[in-house]
Amino acid sequence: MKKVLALVLAMMMALGLVAAVAEQPTYHFEIVSKGFQSTYWQALYKGALAEIDALNTEAGYEMITMHMDGPDSESDVAQQVQQFTNALNANPDGIGFAAVDQNAFNDLLAEAVEKKIPIVGFDSGVPGAPEGAIYANACTDNYVAGTIAADNLFAAIKDRIAAAEGVVRVGEVNQDATGESVTSRGRGFIDKFIELASAEGWGVAVTGNEYYVNNAQGAVAEADAKIIIEARVPATTQVDQCANEAAVILNEADTIAIFGSNQTAAEGIIAANNNLFVLGSGEGQIVGAGFDAGSAQKAAVADGTLLGAITQSPLDMGKVTIDVLLAIVRGEEYQELYDTGCAWYTAETMNDPSIAPNLYD
Amino acid sequence: MEITSKNRKSSSASFIRSSAFQRVIIIAVVVLLYIFFYARSTSFRRYTTIVQICSNMYYTLLMAIGVTFPLITGGNDLSMGTGLICYSLIGSYLIRICGWPLWAAIVITIGMGVLMGTINGVIIAKLEIPPFIMTLSMMMFLRGMGSILTNSYSGTWPDGADPGAGFRNVFRLIVQTPSGRMPVPIGMIWMILLVIIMTIVLNHTRVGRYIIAIGSNKEALKLSGVNVFKWHVFAYVISGFMTGLAAIAYAATFPNITPGQGAGFELNAIGAAIIGGTSMTGGSGSVFGTFLGVLLIALLQVGLPFVGLNADWQLLITGCILLAAVTIDKMRNS
Repeated sequence: MKKVLALVLAMMMALGLVAAVAEQPTYHFEIVSKGFQSTYWQALYKGALAEIDALNTEAGYEMITMHMDGPDSESDVAQQVQQFTNALNANPDGIGFAAVDQNAFNDLLAEAVEKKIPIVGFDSGVPGAPEGAIYANACTDNYVAGTIAADNLFAAIKDRIAAAEGVVRVGEVNQDATGESVTSRGRGFIDKFIELASAEGWGVAVTGNEYYVNNAQGAVAEADAKIIIEARVPATTQVDQCANEAAVILNEADTIAIFGSNQTAAEGIIAANNNLFVLGSGEGQIVGAGFDAGSAQKAAVADGTLLGAITQSPLDMGKVTIDVLLAIVRGEEYQELYDTGCAWYTAETMNDPSIAPNLYD
Repeated sequence: MEITSKNRKSSSASFIRSSAFQRVIIIAVVVLLYIFFYARSTSFRRYTTIVQICSNMYYTLLMAIGVTFPLITGGNDLSMGTGLICYSLIGSYLIRICGWPLWAAIVITIGMGVLMGTINGVIIAKLEIPPFIMTLSMMMFLRGMGSILTNSYSGTWPDGADPGAGFRNVFRLIVQTPSGRMPVPIGMIWMILLVIIMTIVLNHTRVGRYIIAIGSNKEALKLSGVNVFKWHVFAYVISGFMTGLAAIAYAATFPNITPGQGAGFELNAIGAAIIGGTSMTGGSGSVFGTFLGVLLIALLQVGLPFVGLNADWQLLITGCILLAAVTIDKMRNS
C-alpha cells in the first residue's frame, strides 16, 4: 500500500513539475538589423543579449531566445529582404527591425500584420510602414542628432566664416541617400546649418547629391551664397569609396569643415586625411566632425584630428528593443516611441560616465 | 620591295593582334584620363591625389597579380575579396585580443592565404570541380569564417602610438617638410618590384611556363610527362599568397577592418587583369598588363569624384572598358 502511495505521490510530483514547466512561457524574437558592418551593430547586439541574459536569470529559465541577422553591407537591400522573409517564416513572437531601405518591405510588413507578429523598429526603424505593422520604435532622433552636429561645428567655425573674404565650403559625406538614419542626419545637419548661418545673414547653397540638395530647407542659389554645403554620397557603403569622396572635399581650397554622418563615412574622412593631413582645429585646418564611435574615430577625436562626434546609445537601443517586444507579447503597456538619445562628445568629454559606455571599439 | 611591304603589313597586323597592343591602348587611356581630370579639376592637380591613387591601388594590385595566375590556367579565384577581410580580421584579432607580436600576425595572415589558396588549388586540380564553383564556395566560407572567428567584431591593426604601428610606413612614409607633413607612397616601389619579379616568374621560369601551358593545352602538357596537378595547384597558392599580402596592405591603408566587407573586391582585381590582357579562356596573360588595369581602375575611382561624377559612373565606365577588353581578347584569339 505504502509503495502504491509513494508511486502515486511521485507521479503527482512529476506531473506537477511537467505542468509547472508547461506554464512557463517562452518567447523567441528575431532581430533583423542593417548589418554587422560596423561595431555600432555589434554594440546593439551586445545590449540586446545582455538584457535577455538578465531577464532569463530573473525568470530562472530560458524565457527568451533571440536570433539576429543583418546584411553584409548597409546597401544590400535584396539580402535584407531575404533575411526578413526568413525571420517571418520562423514564426517568432516578435521581430526587431531596422530597414536598410524603407520602401522595400511593404509587402512583407503587410504579411507580418496578417500573421499578427509584432514588430519593433530600432535605429532608423521603418518609416512609412503599413499601418499597424510597427508597434513601437526604439531609436535615436536622427534628424535632431544631425542638428546637434551642425550646432557644434558651426560654433567652431563661425569666426572663420565671418573673417573669410570669399565663399567657404562645408563638406558632408553620407554613405547613402536611401536609409532613414543617414538621410535624416544629413538633412538635420544641412537644415540646422542653414538656419544658424541665416541668423547671421549668410546665405547657404547646397550642392552635390540630388537627394540632399532637393531636401535642403532654406538654401539659396550658389551665386548668392557665403557658404556652400557640399553633400557627397559614394556608390557603395565601403570605407574606401567614402574616403575617395571625402578626399575631393578636403582637397578644395575653400573647405573649412566636414561632417561624416555615420561611422563608415567618418572613417572614410579619417582615411582620406591620412594622406592629406588637413584636419584639425589649428589655423587654416579643416574642422571635422563624425558620428558614432569605433576605435579609429575615437582615436581621431582623442588626438584632435576630429573636433568631436555624435554618439548614440546602441547598447540601450538593443536593451529597449527586447524590453518593448516582451511588453507587447505579454500584453503589458508600452509607448510607441522610445528616444534612446544621442550626445556630442569631444576629447574632453569622451571619458565622462554618461558617454564612455557608448563609445564602443 | 613588294615582299617588304607585305612583311610590314603582316607585322603591324600581328602587333594589333598582340596583347602588347592592348597594353599600349591602356597606357593611352590612362594618360588621356589623367589629362582630362587634370584639366577639369584644380583640386585634382595636387601631389596628394597621386598618393591617394597609390593607396587605392595597393590591395587591389596584390590581388590582381595573384588572380592573373589562376586566370591564365583558365580558372578563377572569387574568394580573394572575402579572404582579404577574413585574414586581416584574424591578424587583427591575434594582435589585439591574443596579444601576439606583429610579425607573428603577419605570418599567420599570409599563411592563411597560402592555406586557403592550396585548398582551392587541390580541390580544383584533383577533383576537377569548376574553379568558379570552388572559389565561390570558398568566398562564402571565408566570409562566414572571418565573422565567426572574430565574433563579428571589427578589427584594427596597430596605429598611431601603438607598438608596431610602423608597419604602415612600409606603404606610406610620412616626411616632415618645412610646409608640414608629406606622405610618400613608397609602397609603389615595392609594387613595381613585385611586378618585375612576378613578370620574371611568369615569363622566364618553369612555374610560369607550365602555368601558361595548363591554360593553353593541358592535355599536351600531361602527355609530355609534366606533373600538371602540382603546377595547377601552385597557381592558386600564388593567388592565396598575394591575397594574404593584400590583407596586410588593406590593414595598413584603412583605419578599420569590418566583417562582411570584401565581397566585390575580387571583381576589381579580376577586371583589372582582364583589362590588362589576361585571357579569360586561359593560356596568356601579363603581370604588367594587370598593373596597368589596376592603375586605370584606381584612376577612375579617384578621379571621377573630382569632376563631379560619383562612383556609379566609375562602375559604369569600368564595365564598358572591361567589355572592350574582352572583345579585343576575343578578336585577337579568333
